[in-house]
Amino acid sequence: MSAIEAHNLGKRYRKAGVGAPTLRDALKRAFLRKPMEDFWAVRGLTFKIEPGCTIGVIGANGSGKSSLLGLVAGTITPTEGTVRANGRISSLLELGAGFHPNLSGRENVFLNAAILGIAREDVRKRFDAIVEFAGLRDFIDMPVKHYSSGMYVRLAFAVAVEMKPDVLLVDEVLSVGDTAFQTKCLNRIMDFKRRGKTILLVSHALETVEQFCDEVMLINQGRLVQRGPPGEVIFNYLRTYLAHVGQLTVEEYGTREVEIRHVRLLDGAGQEAAKFTTGEPLHVEVTYHANRRIENPVFGFSLKTGNGTYLFGSNTQILNYRIAAIEGTGVMRLTINPLTLMAGRFLLSLSIHSWDHSVQYHRQEDLYPFLVKDDPDHHGVVQLSTKWELKPGP
Amino acid sequence: MHSLVIAWRHRELLWNLAGRDLKGRYKDSVLGLLWTILAPLFMAAIYIFFLRLLGGRGLQISLADIVIGVFAWQFTVQCVTSGLTAFTGNANLVKKVFFPRLLLPTSVVLSALVNFLLMLVVQLPLVAFLLWHSGGTMSLWTLALPVVILYHTFFNLLLALAVSAANVYFRDTQHLVGLGLSAWFFLSPVMYPLSFVHDLAARWPWVEQVYQLNPLTVIITAYRALQAGAPLVLTPAAIAGWLWPLAGAAVVFWVFNRAQRNFADHL
Repeated sequence: MSAIEAHNLGKRYRKAGVGAPTLRDALKRAFLRKPMEDFWAVRGLTFKIEPGCTIGVIGANGSGKSSLLGLVAGTITPTEGTVRANGRISSLLELGAGFHPNLSGRENVFLNAAILGIAREDVRKRFDAIVEFAGLRDFIDMPVKHYSSGMYVRLAFAVAVEMKPDVLLVDEVLSVGDTAFQTKCLNRIMDFKRRGKTILLVSHALETVEQFCDEVMLINQGRLVQRGPPGEVIFNYLRTYLAHVGQLTVEEYGTREVEIRHVRLLDGAGQEAAKFTTGEPLHVEVTYHANRRIENPVFGFSLKTGNGTYLFGSNTQILNYRIAAIEGTGVMRLTINPLTLMAGRFLLSLSIHSWDHSVQYHRQEDLYPFLVKDDPDHHGVVQLSTKWELKPGP
Repeated sequence: MHSLVIAWRHRELLWNLAGRDLKGRYKDSVLGLLWTILAPLFMAAIYIFFLRLLGGRGLQISLADIVIGVFAWQFTVQCVTSGLTAFTGNANLVKKVFFPRLLLPTSVVLSALVNFLLMLVVQLPLVAFLLWHSGGTMSLWTLALPVVILYHTFFNLLLALAVSAANVYFRDTQHLVGLGLSAWFFLSPVMYPLSFVHDLAARWPWVEQVYQLNPLTVIITAYRALQAGAPLVLTPAAIAGWLWPLAGAAVVFWVFNRAQRNFADHL
């Protein structure tokens, strides 16, 4: 039996109902028969999730990920279709929902546990462990309204992970607290995974998704676009959706006196690709169009890791590749050979600017994501060409 | 009835929510729970003072009747006003965690019931004293109070369910309910005895019939009758006043169950 099963699941919202509902609006609609504007947060979702799987759900903001979790959790009622989860569901959706600001941390632990369906007896037994996990030993009898937001969330998480669910829903909770606490949270979630629980994880932290999930579902505008192995789906997401909808830090600017019209990433065989191999060449083919004659233009590029660390940048000026002038349409080809990046997700930026850097004609920041796969024996971000030599002593 | 079974099954959460309500309400006030008793006592004192002032000495009102009426009225008012925000004040909870929605208004009524029972601890000796002062005694029928309290609580639960759900869909509800409560206060025998409407009823007999259809009329009258030993009013209209909320309960539960499905969309 599947752990979660959805059939033609859909949830419709009324645009008119977004604000606070009032009687006046309802009457107005009834009398004027004004058609309501609808939109579907989720539609036509059909999927099965086997017990023990960890499934990631990715997609741009507003693509329907959270609605999907709400539907599975039962807090949202579907407009059409069905969704069924077998076994006990627990959600780490909103931590600390139901905390009462005037009550102490201790009282809130019991209250929150009751809301989450944890037996009082269990909480009593595990109380010290909960407080220890949250790191709030000295503050547990203080009203939570005096807590910092970090303390608040830590306590909520510590209670929430005491649940013994069959299906665990996680929505972006990993973005809370400091790094040390995040690691603790991830470990807890890993525990659930090891104990064979089914986990549905919504996150924008694609590295985490790739690391934890057995499979990933890509949602766009409420529909299931793709489901498959994490690397493949995440890559498709980056490639197809992320770069072109203005997510990430993607930006484009410049005077457009020269425009970057089209960019192709080619592998060693000259095939357009999105996944490249360490040690082999990567070609970038830039089709530009100069609207007027531009003298001494400079073509440049830079690379960042998926989480934004600047890796390398260079341009034709630095390499002393002088271009006297360009006009009309042409193609510029950049070759990186060998590609010394290790496995991961990278972002390519391109720019065309004037010789003295005073005019940026066209710059595309982080617009081109690509993946690199390598041999699994090495680790790190870049591959350095290395050699060992042994000189035995006398 | 199914709804009540659900509530019972989740009683642990119910107690916790009710406890949260009670503790939260008085946490930062110096007098704390004492307010539960002080507020209706002051209200009763104010009504008595002004009734005396305006109506003169000749006014035939029993102080015990006013105390009983005001305390019972307070119970209903508390259920309705905290019922209004049962969902709208807990939007986060409703949107993010799944549990039977019924529990929120039920917990509110439960905490109001605890308050009311505390009020009764003060009310009973006070009524006994007032009756003794005017030459009467407390009736043994007082022992039957739990039956009326149970019915009264159930009636308040229906009100809380109705207003809590309505307020999710239409935020106008809170204003309408405010107006409704002020009117209802005068339409129920809270600060006057039932006999006040007799003059009116002499002219238009139907007024008394309609008047007794009001469940609060029969509830408050029953509280008074039991404690002061007066006979229960058992006209056909009064009996209808007792019975129709029981029939209405089916409708309220049905509507509530349908409405709660889309709560998360409207909060």
